[in-house]
Amino acid sequence: MSLQLSRGEVTSPVQSQESKSTAAPHEKTITVAVAGNPNSGKSTLINAIAGTRLYVGNWPGVTVEKKSAMFEHGGRKIKLIDLPGTYSLSPYTQEEIIARDYLVKEKPDVIINVVDATNIERNLYLTVQLLELGIPLVIALNIYDEAEQKGYRINTKAMEEMLGVKVTPTVATKKAGLEELLKAATESADNPSRYLPKQLNYGDDIESAAAVIRTHISEQYPSLDGIYPTRWLAFKFMEGDSRAAEEASLKMDAAFIDKATAHLKKAHGDDMESIMADERYALATGLTREVVKRPEVRKVEITEKIDRWALNRFLGIPIFLAAMWIVFKLTFDISQPFGDWIDGATAGPVSRLADKMIAAVNGPLWIASLATEGVIAGVGFVLAFVPVIFAMMFFITFLEGSGYMARAAFVMDRAMHSMGLHGKSFIPMLLGFGCNVPGIYATRTLENPRDKALTALLLPLMSCGARLPVYVVFIGAFFSSYAGTVLWSMYVMGIVLAILMGVIFKRTLFRGESPMFIMELPPYRMPSLRSLMIHTWEKGKHFLIKAGTYIFAVSILVWFLLNLPWGVENKKDSYLGKTGQIIAPVLEPVGFGNWEAASALVTGLIAKEIVVGSMAEIYAVEQAEEAPTTVSEDLKEMGTTFVAAAGDSFRNVFATFGIASISAEEDEGASGLKTVIQKTFTPLTAYAFMAFVLLYMPCVVVAIAMKHEFGSWKWFGVAFAYQMVLAWGVALVIYQGGKFLGIG
Amino acid sequence: MNLAMLKPGEYGTITKIGSIGPIKRRLMDMGVLVGEKVKVEKVAPLGDPIEVTIKNYNLSLRKKEAEGIAVEAIK
Repeated sequence: MSLQLSRGEVTSPVQSQESKSTAAPHEKTITVAVAGNPNSGKSTLINAIAGTRLYVGNWPGVTVEKKSAMFEHGGRKIKLIDLPGTYSLSPYTQEEIIARDYLVKEKPDVIINVVDATNIERNLYLTVQLLELGIPLVIALNIYDEAEQKGYRINTKAMEEMLGVKVTPTVATKKAGLEELLKAATESADNPSRYLPKQLNYGDDIESAAAVIRTHISEQYPSLDGIYPTRWLAFKFMEGDSRAAEEASLKMDAAFIDKATAHLKKAHGDDMESIMADERYALATGLTREVVKRPEVRKVEITEKIDRWALNRFLGIPIFLAAMWIVFKLTFDISQPFGDWIDGATAGPVSRLADKMIAAVNGPLWIASLATEGVIAGVGFVLAFVPVIFAMMFFITFLEGSGYMARAAFVMDRAMHSMGLHGKSFIPMLLGFGCNVPGIYATRTLENPRDKALTALLLPLMSCGARLPVYVVFIGAFFSSYAGTVLWSMYVMGIVLAILMGVIFKRTLFRGESPMFIMELPPYRMPSLRSLMIHTWEKGKHFLIKAGTYIFAVSILVWFLLNLPWGVENKKDSYLGKTGQIIAPVLEPVGFGNWEAASALVTGLIAKEIVVGSMAEIYAVEQAEEAPTTVSEDLKEMGTTFVAAAGDSFRNVFATFGIASISAEEDEGASGLKTVIQKTFTPLTAYAFMAFVLLYMPCVVVAIAMKHEFGSWKWFGVAFAYQMVLAWGVALVIYQGGKFLGIG
Repeated sequence: MNLAMLKPGEYGTITKIGSIGPIKRRLMDMGVLVGEKVKVEKVAPLGDPIEVTIKNYNLSLRKKEAEGIAVEAIK
């Protein structure tokens, strides 16, 4: 431990030497809940303690992330639960409700309260509320090094005495103080009576009113004694927090509470909730004044210097756009060559290997087809998303951890707010242009469920990279002389419709007050690489397991759809062709009511880039025969292409202009397809078809990502419904309008 | 006089929080309390939201929310 402590003001924790019990190590698992403000370094601390033992999931029924870990420390089993970062324990936000429900109901053995040493006063406001619960608590005085650099002198000994809990300075980014913290936590959990936090005095008038209510609760509901902290319940009653009463299945006697608090409201001239908040802050302020000495002269801090540029009236937006351009470019250009490599390897060498193995054991043809086109293609399809998910998670976590995410929201909020969104919605939307899937996952940076849902609903209208091959073929066939303009119009169409739908949703589905925007702008900090890596790995793994299984299942299903009944000669007679025939009449008014186009669109539900491939197959465009290869050649090919992919990825980062992921090359064989579609489409129907591909249902992976992020199919259902209607409607307007004007 | 009317660089003392319910509670949770000294730091490039310093940290809020916070300007 290299923690530098200032001039002996920190002493060893209270009574630590005598608490060693001679009894055998306790068998009981200690449950440790970690609570703290956002930006207090809580996740870095958790990562530093639990590392790869962390399990990331969701709190039941909500989309808030839940991290937990089981491990042994000093011979003791410890179960670590990370509570959502909160500023308070009010009954209003999802995060706060989760945190307090967990603390009240599950009663962890000890709470580790992470307190930002550079911002003690506001952090102690939460501490004061945690102390009300009467659960043993230890304070991790985190980011202690930065506080020292600022010249703060914190008397942790005095803090321990005033709160009756242990206080350990920590620097989570450097893993300093963690050993002491865990020791303090286990000790406090083992001796709850000795380390029970002090009940702070809220002032005579509040205390006497609380006492009256506590007596009332004990008399009326004796069964609750020992289950719920009655002092906490009394406070909640006084604040008019009906949620707490419901949870404890108490009937709140409004008249009684009113009577008990009437004199308080009169004396303070405010509502009870505000009086309590005021009092808690007064306690936090008083404590801070006692224990923290700040230097007289304040230095101009680095954050201030950066923000002079980053939030500048004129430069703020250009800097923001430049930052976003870099994030977009890095996310997609680093990951794309690897994604392509996985794609190529599974479709080529791996499939050929499987083919040979099945042929070697004389397996039937349909098994070979299922294995390569179903199973291996499915696995490849899932894996191809992994690089981009990892890259996106890495950069999003970096933006959040560094403090720039809050600035991005600050700069963009005005523009996004006009379509009913939040400043933070911009980044998921932007990522959507590369691929909608990481965009959906990036909505987790939005705290408010409403903002998050609306962002995810509009996001699929951002024209992703997978739609590009479709545009390229159709533009090549019909609009080659003004290709750029037509391509551009697709992107603009998506954005304009997103704005329009945003305004419509704001007035209908999401009517009512738009959520508030009251956000901390945390100091800029360098996130630790270790923490970034762990976070990225956990998210990527989670995607692979949770979403991967779904995606895989769907690809198998598609194989059956495409190839059954087995041995169909004409694609028209396959289940897919039959589905196409059923759907075709619906597409008649929009200009492409034939089974070929309909079937291609059906396959596009899986992934939009498939549309081109399936059209080639349906129109039976001749494909170049592959030359037979040997096993060793295949293995060698995989190796060399991987090296090439790594090289491409590296080069992409330094290729300053142009974005590899949104520039498409023509596939071989596309020229054959072009000739065919020139016969079946007109420029007008081609344009309507392109618009339809842009707008109709987001692909299956987006569907699964939405289910994954929101915990239910509800929002995907909404997206599916409105997008189908929108796609059909827009294509109709284009086709019928064009016909009316005599185009096509 | 309300918080949205202060210009960047100006200080004020909060005299009343007009909003009610969740917004008021949230503001108070973030340290926006009556009697607290507040400084307006910046206005976002597009004119909204604003950034203020309160209780030794930086907070951003939309003008709509700032309008509900009455302040007395400190000269």
